[in-house]
Amino acid sequence: MRETYGTVLPGMNLADLTGKLIVIEGTDGVGRSTQIDLLKPWLEQEGRAVLDTGLTRSDLAGRGIKQAKVGHTLGPLTLSLFYATDFADRLEQEIVPALRAGFVVLTDRYIYSLMARALIRGIDAAWLQNAYSFALKPDAVFYLRIGVDDLIPRVVFSRGFDYWESGMDLHPSEDMYESFRKYQTALLAQFDLLADKYAFEVIDALGSPQAVFTQLRDRIGRVLLGEPREPLFSLLTAPPVPLGASDRDGKREVAPVPAAVPERTAAKERTGKPAAHAAAKTSGGAESV
Amino acid sequence: MKRYGEHRFPGKLFVVEGIDGSGKSTQLLLLHQWLKAEGFGVVFSEWNSSPLVRDITKRGKKKQMLSPATFSLIHSTDFADRMERNIIPLLKAGAVVLCDRYIYTAFARDVGRGMDPKWVRELYSFAVKPTAAFYFRVPLETAIQRLLVGRSGFKYYEAGMDLGLSGDTEESFRLFQGRIVEEYEKMVPEFELTVVDATQAIEVEQAQMRQIVRSKLAQAKRLRVAP
Repeated sequence: MRETYGTVLPGMNLADLTGKLIVIEGTDGVGRSTQIDLLKPWLEQEGRAVLDTGLTRSDLAGRGIKQAKVGHTLGPLTLSLFYATDFADRLEQEIVPALRAGFVVLTDRYIYSLMARALIRGIDAAWLQNAYSFALKPDAVFYLRIGVDDLIPRVVFSRGFDYWESGMDLHPSEDMYESFRKYQTALLAQFDLLADKYAFEVIDALGSPQAVFTQLRDRIGRVLLGEPREPLFSLLTAPPVPLGASDRDGKREVAPVPAAVPERTAAKERTGKPAAHAAAKTSGGAESV
Repeated sequence: MKRYGEHRFPGKLFVVEGIDGSGKSTQLLLLHQWLKAEGFGVVFSEWNSSPLVRDITKRGKKKQMLSPATFSLIHSTDFADRMERNIIPLLKAGAVVLCDRYIYTAFARDVGRGMDPKWVRELYSFAVKPTAAFYFRVPLETAIQRLLVGRSGFKYYEAGMDLGLSGDTEESFRLFQGRIVEEYEKMVPEFELTVVDATQAIEVEQAQMRQIVRSKLAQAKRLRVAP
């Protein structure tokens, strides 16, 4: 049965959460959203209803965080709690209803990114662990790992250095490049510690997007089949599971996407997103929301 | 990061706690006036007053978007902002800081909403320990009678309507505030709250408060304030 990292929020019945929770973690610019854009249509072709979600997108706090960051006025503790509020809102309003409805939830970052950022800003580790102890333990965490020297060219040649991604609030250096390097080096070191503590599955993010996708697809395929982490065989050559596949062929975990299961309706109303994805599944639904 | 405990700042922190209608805000106002007249640098800090977070909280309440978890976390965000940018710098500067509600309000409300008591206490462990925390103890019915005279009705979250205890607002308020009183009572020994019998005359309660505050301020630095 699903577990949390400690406390269970009021009104949350863990036994109901039958879907799969898959986390893609990694630092800024490592290619997480590219991978999610590839994984979502793949999963939908496999007959899985997918909810994709990420940080600071909650209805309650998402806008507020964006506004607050424009002014660069938040203290580290306040920012940390703001993110925790946002995370709790997404967990309760999106992730839990989707898991209850049997969806695969693909989340672009999870509590670990929030913890890593807070840790390098001097927030106490034990305090953070308690604050996020209501989080659900995911079925798998895939960590897209990259060294800072390989990260820099990617960022420079795509979108440039961002104030927060360079940790400018910490004033590591007046120079954006130096700041980015120092900040990301510290961040990657925290990620490595968290990877160990929370047993991330590490994926080398240095390869081409297609090569990373192939690895992710294989490993997620195994998670969905409920198989152990160590590869028993490659799913690369396995034929796609057709829509409507049922218990008969032994792939009981790979359920079709029923359009009219009663409890699913409720989840759709609350989240909005899953309905759109489920509707788009036959067309491949690759557009990002 | 500092944990909950005795602070070593030159300033002093006094807080009032209790359910709505216990008269705590009136008492704090009177204390404020007195301290100003005595020549202390006094600053008043209200619950839920961080400009940054206030609008989010307001919208969340208005649209009834808050669950027990997000209610708890958004209030802790607001509190952290005030702590980081307001209360701690003031205490460092030697001010006398007055708070209408403090972490104990969060503990009472959040646990009343079903949050884990240990989780909430740890969440607020960054708060500094007040010099004195006054708890205005009043029978629930007395508080309700005071409130019914003074206002038109109860707000959604204030009445705990989000918990579905009762469809009737007044009844829900009564049940929810009953839970809050229970939590306050548990905290009296846990956090050594100073209990004030809030059924007494206003001036009697004020005299008791001033006596305690005076004793705590004996060695406090007096800041000159403009007359």
